[in-house]
Formats: sequence, C-alpha cells, structure tokens
Amino acid sequence: MAETIDPLNWPATPSVLGTRVKRMDGPEKVTGRAKYTFDISRPRMLYGRIVRSPYPHARVVSVDLTAASRMPGVKTTLVWRDPANTQNNLVMFQGDEVAAVAADTEEHAIDAARAIKVEYQVLPHVTLVDRALAGTAPAVFTGGNVRAAQPQSTGDLTKGFGAAAHTIEETYETQVITHTCMETHGTVCEWEGERLTAWISTQGINGARENFASALGIPQANVRVICQYMGGGFGSKALSVGAEGLICARLAKAANAPVKLMLDRKEEHLATGNRPSATARIKAGVSAEGIITAFDGDTWGTGGAGATAGFPLPYIYQIANRRRAHKDVFTNTAQQRPMRAPGHPQGSFNTEIMMDELADKVKMDPVEFRIKNLPPEAPNAMWRSYLREGAAEFGWDKRHPTGDKTPGPIKTGMGVSIHTWGGGGRGPAPAHCEIASDGGVVMRAGTQDIGTGTRTLVAVITADALGLQPTQVRPEIGDTLYGVSPASGGSTTAASISPGIRVAAVKALDALKEKVAPSLGVEPAALVASGGRIHVKDDPSKGMSWADACKRIGPQSITSDGDWRPGMSSTTTSGVQFAEVKVDIETGIVKVTRVLVVQDCGLVVSRLTAESQCYGGVIGSLNFALFEDRILDRNSGQMVNPNMEWYLLAGMSDIPRIDVRLKNQPERGVIGLGEPPTVSTAAAITLAVRNAIGVSVRSLPLTPARILGALRQGIA
Amino acid sequence: MATRDDSPDGMKFNRRNFLKSTGVVGLAETVAAPGDAAAQSEPAAVGPGDVPVRLNVNGRPIDLMIEPRVTLLDALRTRANLTGNKRGCDRGTCGACTMLVDGRTVYSCSTLAIEVQGKQIRTVDGLANGDQLHPVQQAFCDRDALMCGFCTPGFIMASVGLLEKHPNATPEQIRKGLDGNICRCGTFPRIFEAVSSVKGGQRG
Repeated sequence: MAETIDPLNWPATPSVLGTRVKRMDGPEKVTGRAKYTFDISRPRMLYGRIVRSPYPHARVVSVDLTAASRMPGVKTTLVWRDPANTQNNLVMFQGDEVAAVAADTEEHAIDAARAIKVEYQVLPHVTLVDRALAGTAPAVFTGGNVRAAQPQSTGDLTKGFGAAAHTIEETYETQVITHTCMETHGTVCEWEGERLTAWISTQGINGARENFASALGIPQANVRVICQYMGGGFGSKALSVGAEGLICARLAKAANAPVKLMLDRKEEHLATGNRPSATARIKAGVSAEGIITAFDGDTWGTGGAGATAGFPLPYIYQIANRRRAHKDVFTNTAQQRPMRAPGHPQGSFNTEIMMDELADKVKMDPVEFRIKNLPPEAPNAMWRSYLREGAAEFGWDKRHPTGDKTPGPIKTGMGVSIHTWGGGGRGPAPAHCEIASDGGVVMRAGTQDIGTGTRTLVAVITADALGLQPTQVRPEIGDTLYGVSPASGGSTTAASISPGIRVAAVKALDALKEKVAPSLGVEPAALVASGGRIHVKDDPSKGMSWADACKRIGPQSITSDGDWRPGMSSTTTSGVQFAEVKVDIETGIVKVTRVLVVQDCGLVVSRLTAESQCYGGVIGSLNFALFEDRILDRNSGQMVNPNMEWYLLAGMSDIPRIDVRLKNQPERGVIGLGEPPTVSTAAAITLAVRNAIGVSVRSLPLTPARILGALRQGIA
Repeated sequence: MATRDDSPDGMKFNRRNFLKSTGVVGLAETVAAPGDAAAQSEPAAVGPGDVPVRLNVNGRPIDLMIEPRVTLLDALRTRANLTGNKRGCDRGTCGACTMLVDGRTVYSCSTLAIEVQGKQIRTVDGLANGDQLHPVQQAFCDRDALMCGFCTPGFIMASVGLLEKHPNATPEQIRKGLDGNICRCGTFPRIFEAVSSVKGGQRG
C-alpha cells in the first residue's frame, strides 16, 4: 500500500542529515573571534560586583555604602537586601546577594565591594542533612526543615517479600555537585531610556527577556536579549536571569552606563545552582529465578534552601510490588537548579548498585539479570537489544565474577548500566528562511547554542532540504529579534526547532521552484534540489545551478516560515553503557580504562556533534563518579572548595577510551541527546569498581578514602 | 609568573629589569628613598595607581597604563580588546587563559602584566594568519574538538606550546602536556585526536 508522502516531513533519502558535518562556528571559536558575554565591551562600560553573605543564615542589620561610594572609579552602589524590609532581610545561604557596586574597572569594583560594610545578625543554620532529618538541627525553615512527599505504593509489598528468596537492605547515596560552567554566569546590560539590551550567558534568551521585563516593570517589547555564544550552562542558566542578571540591569540603570557583571569562580560555586544530593535506604527482594519481587525505598535529598530534591526510583526496572517515600531536606545552601538530566543520575546510581547486589544473590550475570527485569522492548525502550549488542562488543564474556582474584594490587572490573530520557520537542519554535537573488540562504530562529552545536543543526537541516552544503547556509540564532523559541533545557532544543527549520526550508524551496519552472518548461512539482542544482526530478541534466536559479528571485528575497509540528519529533531515548576500570587497592585510586556507549536519539541530524554529546556526557558522569563534591564545613556551613583546584574535575590523563555506537531511528523524528549519555556512566563505573575489588561502594564520589574504607569494611 | 611546568623561572619581576625593559628613568627616585640600602637591593614597589607597561603581543607592541596588580589576562582582555583567551577559574587551574610567553605556556590569569614586559607574548587572537587557520586550530575544527568553546583558546595555546616543544609528541606527552586544561563539556577525546593528528611538519 502506497503511503502519501508528506514533503514537509523528513526525507526518505537525506543528503546531509545524519552525516558528519564540521561544526559551523568552529573557526570562530578556535580563533577567539566568537564573542561570549564575557567578551562584550560597550562604550563607557562599567564593571559590576556583588557583595554576598559569608554566613549560611543571617539577618542583614545594616548596609553602609558610604565608604564604597567614595572609592576610586565608583559610579553607583545598590542595596539588594534591604535591612528595613523585614520580609526580605534574611540571607539563607552563603553567597546570598546583599549589595552591589559598579565602577570603571573590575579592580576598582572589587575594591569598592570590599568597602561596603554589612552588619549581620548571625542566625542558627542547618547544613547537615542528617541533623535536619533527625530533628536535632535548628528549626530554620517555616513549616520545618523536612518536607515529606506522599508515599507511592504499587502492588503488595508483603506478598512481594514473601516471594523473595533473598533480600538486601542497603543505603545508597549521591553527593551535591555544582554545574561549574567554564563561563560563569554573567550579563552586560545597556539602557537607552526605558529600553534594555542585555547580553547574557543564558540557555533561554526568550525566558530571559520575560524575566527582565517582569522584574524591572518594563514591556517585554522593550527588552532585547542576545546570546551568540555561551560557555556552558548544563541547566544552571536555563530558568531565570537570576539575582545577578537583575542586579546588573539595575546598576546599569542607576549609573546611566552599560555594566558588565560576571561572577567569579567562588560565586559560581556558591550561588548558581547545584545537583541535589540523593540518598535511598532500600530493602529489596529477589526470587530464586532472578525476578525482583519487592522494593521498599525511603529516600531523601537536599536541594538547598526551600528547593525540592526529587529523583526517579526505582529507575526503569519493572517491579510489581513497591513502595517509595521521599523527603526533601531544606538546608542553608543555594537552591538547586536543573543539572544535565535532573534526577536521573541519582536515580540511576541508587538503583543500579542495588541491581548488581541482587544479581549476586541469585548468582546471575548482571546483563542477564537486567534483561529479566526490564519492561517490554519498544522503540523507546531498547535496552534488551542494546545490552546484548554492547556486551558482545565490549567483551563482557571476559568479565570475572565479583572480585578480581588476580594477585597484586591492581584489580580490574567491568560494570553496566542503563538509562532513559524524554527529550521531546514542543512549539512554538518558529523558523524563518530567506533566499536572496545572490544565492545566499539565511535560516533564522530565536534559539540559542549552549555548546551542543545548534548552528550546525540549523545549517544541516536547511542544506539537506535545499540540496546545498551546510557552509552555504547562514544560521542566525541567539537574539530575541529572531523570534520566540523554547529554552535549551531537558534536551528539547533539537526536537523543538528542527521541524520548523525543515518546514521553512521546504516552503522556501517551493517558492524558488515556482520562479525556475517556467524557464525549464516544467511544472514546479517536477523539480528537485540536489547537489547544488535545481533540476527535473529524473533528469539532472535538465536544470540549472543554485546560483542561476536564485538570479530569478529579483530584488525581494524569498521568505518563508515554519514551526514545530507533531510527527517530526518524538520523545524518550534508550541507552546502555559499559565501563571497565583498574583499581589500586593499596592507594584506592580508580582509573577508568574503557567506556562503551550504545545510544539512540531518534533521527540523527548531525552525527559528529551528536557523538561529541556522548563523549561529553560520559565525561561529565565520570566527574560525578570520581571527583566532584561540594564540601561544606561541618561547623560554619561554608563551602571549603569553591574553586577549581579543590573542586576536582577530570583532565586529559583521566579520560578513558570511549566508543560511541549511535543508533539511528529515523522513523521516530528528532529527539534530544544532551542529557541521556550523562545519566548512567557513574553507575557503570561504580559497578566496575565493585566487580574489581569485590565489595560495593554505595556513595559517591569514589575517592581513594572511600575505596579503602569499603575494602576495610568488606574484609572485616 | 605562573609557568605551567616546573622548569626554573628566571623572570621574576625586579626593579632592574623593570627599568631596563620600560626605559622609564627617574622612577627609582620615587620608589626608593636615598640611602635605603634594603630598598635598593629588594624588588622595588611600583604603584599604587597606574604605571606604564609595554607588552609585545602577537608581534606588536602595546602600551598600557595599568595598575601593577593587573594580570596579563585582564590587561589584554579589558585594555587591549584581545578577548580570545578566557578566564575560567582565575587561579591558574582551568587553563582557559593559557598563553605563550617566550614559547612557554603560562596561566595568564596568574601572571602579572608588568612581569612579562620585554617578552614575546602570544595569544589565540594572533595565531591564525588572516583566514588561514594554524594547523592546530584546523585540526580542532576538523575533529570537532570543541563544544561550547570557552576552554578552546586555552587548549589551542597549550597544544601549540606542546607541539613547538615536542613536534613529534607521544600520546603520553600529549596527555601530560594538556593536563593543565579543563573542558567542562567533555571534548577531551576529540582534543586528543586533534592534537595527535597534527603531523610534525605542520606544527610550525
């Protein structure tokens, strides 16, 4: 049966889609010509600086700006937390904003910020989750330091445990980490009367525009937000412009001059979000046949001062009888912000470690045990196939049972994990195409590139539709003048903007065919664009070059618009990862040697940048597994490592061999890929460590101390 | 100066080479009281306030009036519009600020501008020859060795410094040579591929 082919939909035989196209803005970035917010310079521009609370909980009693105002180069100062406002004079975390200053140089701004005198009434704080849970911490938050969610239950736990041949009862835990974007949060604000132009390092230019307008009491139409390049966000720049953005705008207004306000590294760690902690005390039962019969979980985590700390649990696996009760623990730390696959890395870790412990109880291979407990296979649930394929490629058959019996201090092991993520598209996400008589093609969308390669994606889709090379397309993004588009969060950008770009490009081509058809003596519908030519479908010789075709356009360019529509994007990916490690049981040092990624993302649009997302995801999760940790002083509640020398991140020597097997599912349309590959590497690495040393490590990061501690406990 | 290797550092700022390199005469009178032997044998204090600093950057002299505390990175970024190199950590850890000073990689965020007068300073802004990319820059583009790109200028300069010193760098030398740089997006495998792909003859 012949199906009607929708010409606006994805092509059956793509030319550029799914190929390895070089990043469009590579030359700009490697030469330093790409202008990030941090690089913006405006005439008469001042530098802003924020004064922040050193205390995790305090009342601001007074703010004295006198001395600061007289400092060299100072143009304006402001009080952000007004002592007289009893509703708003509390600081709730170290790094909470109190006051600010703008001066002619950054050095002068720093000096002046030091000269702002703030008097605090220090209040009792809670930063230790255990004490908050135990009720021994000071009651800091209205309504209590702990907020319990409604427990969720399915099936019959008693029956489930009754059917179990073995049970385990353990506690698993992941730590708080910070986004640590290379470009800190920052803004340049410039006013012209009541109109504001803001260059801001943001994942959502349109959200930022709405933020500025509503907070500053000006029409949205008065605000233009620009973000041509941004140095990473990972979720921390997705939801709002933050206090720092508004402070910058107010300083600029008061000083009647443009102000640049970039946070320093310490502020970035303290005040711009984090991934909440996640602890799970789990009792689980498994039948002799390897079916998980019961799961009973009490979980908690802290997302900071008044923020939630949820995560999915149990993660993916089907368990008929289960209960889960969750508590958000409030602490005097900065509020969490979404961080690359919010909730999933935590849920994955807290589930997957348990999985191998259960598998060992029934002496099953971890891959087989997972397959036994998975939901049925489907296009958005491909783990069975990927596990088998990955196991074969990785050499899983060479994996030894738990505990490497090889003599000597270096033990090797393998681990496996699975994950999922939504990553669907949504509108409105319009795109606008222009084809000029000189052959130039512009594709414009009010989206932004957070580093994933959005410009490249725009060019690839456009070029594919027009039969051109991506370099012949000029993608224009990163400016609210280009229209609305969703924020880049939750792996939604590609799936949201791709359909509109395709539709706009196809419509523009249709208009061009109308111009060309008469001179070829054919109907427009008989024409196709390929290889840089417009020609009759089955007769490439009957046609003309792109340049000649465009000469027929005339002075008024062809313009067309497209928008997101259902059917061209989809949601929910599947992925599995395998990891191999070496552990030195004398020093406790873990070295990851290999990672294999099997991952889908629907229609692969841009293969090279998609693979890069997988590399990046794996390395982000390796950092989570081995290095990253926001460490708070137990007494003062202050962060002891708000820098990059003690907040550890992997360097080149820490990177394993990473193999990426990207699965194409063109029939599903476009699905986002930013989050999925970063979900489960940490679990795979931790299970590889378990397989190597013979004991579980149930909390992250896998520091030498933690490895040695687990070994001591395991031996005892 | 914040050199990125452990070789001896002979470039500590002192009054003698400061005077020699800037040609400022008469300054000694203002910074060392007559007869103060101790002051004359120690590096002299300069500032507070702006002082003249001449830097040789990408083959061109740049004259600045800056406070002595201004770093090389900030001097070039905020006073000379050379914004290619970035500030990530501001503490000589992340490497986004990496520049070459007399052929050696330095963390320019932790190097005072006043310290590197008379030295040949190279930043990412001056690496390409017009539209002709340096082979290392071209390799980064070809291998997709960048994502958000904020760390990229530092990685490029560290790679250029490494390959100029070791034109046929071994994999281990490449890893160690780039261990002073951090990429948060996680492009390391691509960067490794890119640097490895630049063959000896091209590494000028």
